[in-house]
Amino acid sequence: MKDREDPSAGQAIAFHSKDFLKWCDEVLEGVLRRSPVGSGLDYITKDFFNWATRNSLYFLHFGIMCCALEMAVASAPRFDQQRFGIIPRSSPRQCDVLLVNGPVSKKLKPVLRRLYDQMPEPKWVIAMGECAISGGPFYNSYSVVPGVDQFIPVDIYIPGCPARPEALIDGFLKLQVMIKENRKGLLTGK
Amino acid sequence: MWINMGPQHPMTHGLWNLRVKVDGETIVDAQPEVGYLHRGIEKLCEGKTYPQIIPLADRLCYGSSLTWSHLYCMAVEDLMKVEVPERAEYIRVLTIEMQRIVSHLMWLAAYAGDLGLGVGFVYTMREREVFLDLFQSLTGARITYNFPRIGGVAHDLPQNFERDTLRAITFFEGRLKEYEDLFEGSKIFMMRNVGVGILKKEDAINLGVTGPSLRASGVTYDLRKDLPYSVYEEMDFRVATHKDCDCYARYRVRMDEMWESCQIMKQALKKMPEGKWRIVAPRNAPVGTGLARVEDPRGEGMIYIVGDGSDKPYRVKIRSPIFVTVSAAPKMLIGYKLADVVAIMGGLDMCIGETDR
Amino acid sequence: MRDREVTMAEREKSDQKEDMERAPSRIDAVPEERLIRALMNTFPEAITGFTKLRDGFVRAKLDRRELFKVCKFLRDELGFEHFSMISAVEYDDRFEIVYHITSYQNKLLIELITRTPKDDPSVDSVASIWGGANWQERESYDLMGIRFNGHPNLERILLPKDYTFHPLRKDFKG
Repeated sequence: MKDREDPSAGQAIAFHSKDFLKWCDEVLEGVLRRSPVGSGLDYITKDFFNWATRNSLYFLHFGIMCCALEMAVASAPRFDQQRFGIIPRSSPRQCDVLLVNGPVSKKLKPVLRRLYDQMPEPKWVIAMGECAISGGPFYNSYSVVPGVDQFIPVDIYIPGCPARPEALIDGFLKLQVMIKENRKGLLTGK
Repeated sequence: MWINMGPQHPMTHGLWNLRVKVDGETIVDAQPEVGYLHRGIEKLCEGKTYPQIIPLADRLCYGSSLTWSHLYCMAVEDLMKVEVPERAEYIRVLTIEMQRIVSHLMWLAAYAGDLGLGVGFVYTMREREVFLDLFQSLTGARITYNFPRIGGVAHDLPQNFERDTLRAITFFEGRLKEYEDLFEGSKIFMMRNVGVGILKKEDAINLGVTGPSLRASGVTYDLRKDLPYSVYEEMDFRVATHKDCDCYARYRVRMDEMWESCQIMKQALKKMPEGKWRIVAPRNAPVGTGLARVEDPRGEGMIYIVGDGSDKPYRVKIRSPIFVTVSAAPKMLIGYKLADVVAIMGGLDMCIGETDR
Repeated sequence: MRDREVTMAEREKSDQKEDMERAPSRIDAVPEERLIRALMNTFPEAITGFTKLRDGFVRAKLDRRELFKVCKFLRDELGFEHFSMISAVEYDDRFEIVYHITSYQNKLLIELITRTPKDDPSVDSVASIWGGANWQERESYDLMGIRFNGHPNLERILLPKDYTFHPLRKDFKG
């Protein structure tokens, strides 16, 4: 009882998760964030972390339709997107970018929303191909959502049916420029 | 315990879900679930005129899109009773066989990459670019070509196409021998394939499996030889079969098919006559039905069209080979370990675009 | 007694041999004719309207009450081992269900057209005869609303499970 009332007593203690988060906020992170040390640290490291983020954009290994073939070919020797640091990862917990490359059917809509929610911040979404932008050739079908930006916020649109691998790499480069312009510190968020 | 593999899973090339029931590591039951890519193409076709459906048919199976648009054009020509000129038939056969090579290379890239041979992915993708460049000079696109028309093909072969194609075929045949040595020399690749995913001959026929998976179970049935369409009767080639019914047999059948496609392409280039490459088809179709079947790289595709006298079809029904092959998947999976799922399902060469339509 | 039995058996055998010797001249060499004749002899009222559309392709109309027996006969006696396709077409006053079945041995394709009334679109399921019909019948149920009696698992396959419409019907405006 005594230990729980006085968490900074300096002994080995166990926490409930809510209490632990509150303690972190009060003692560690919140203090840093609100003090000038936090903004100083951010000022020093902001550019470095931003450079690292934009040069290692990992996208989710999720292929829907024809544009997925061009996404796979972009990793092939001829177009080689890995020289820009763009590598596909299998789990949404390890990705920065969600690349939507095909029409989203009504059965797929909750799945895609869940994948988007599982990705940690900071995250971006690229809509590749006509089907993801507006439904494509299937815009008037009973089973296709006309455009992925109806339920997920999109940052970059890559037109084409299918979009060429060069267009995909150009989309990633534009995303890199966009990330560079919106530099934010990790601690203070400014 | 039921495990969900998909719809987002690096193994599933395409959007489908495989629920497996495991007891330790052994698979006891399996239930594939499809339908995540359903776009309602059959309903969309009823509101478009006959030529407007050709790009939609391309996007049915994007791995081998020329086969499906050709199949659709053949079904409409059967309905309208239209004769296609001979030069157009030879151009069709040439491009369909090139599409078969491209589709099998894409399968091989994904298959090798999944089984751990990353170098297989890199090499086959590089070879595929050679043929995609040829397609780009012919049709203007890399994946969905919109090339066939009702009554022929869109335009004639460009300049120097024959010379470039023959050069590409010679280059590719040498590389094909290298790949066989690369894959079969890898002990891990052979261990993961030989004896895995056995589908007996009677089960394969009864469950409706067609294409390379059927020929890998010992059944010598190929629509190009047994019910020839287009000008396949003039072509001299062997039907690739294998008597073991496992994943290695399916891999072997596809490698042999690539080889035979090269021979067919060489013959088509030699025998191609001069003449027209397209005739103008009527706008309205008569009342009646049209049926066409084709040997897709993944199996037997069929399209059944009902016409009602107007310029739009009344009903278009598409039979997809992978739709039926996937329903036979539980038979191949039960009794094997969880790590064999990749080899077995990868060996079926699934393209979800045609499954879900 | 024994001698008589042997003689009876021998006589039956010689009768059969005579039949087989007579057979080639009775049945035509063309496989489509053989197929039509076999079906007409076994199911005289159920199957009508034979048409030979082209080489190796026969079309016939079928009464939906005899569907299961005809399909079993096709698979067991006539060697039609591969079930290719099932299509459902909706007209103003009826549904037509079209079966395409292939024989690998004889290189034949038969098209059987069945009719059902508009208010009762149901036929027997052939999923127990050919495993390949299982998912195709589910798809016909999902998109067109045809019920297959005796199907082991008649559920939606392509659309979400809680969907209430059958989209390929003519009165569905998507």
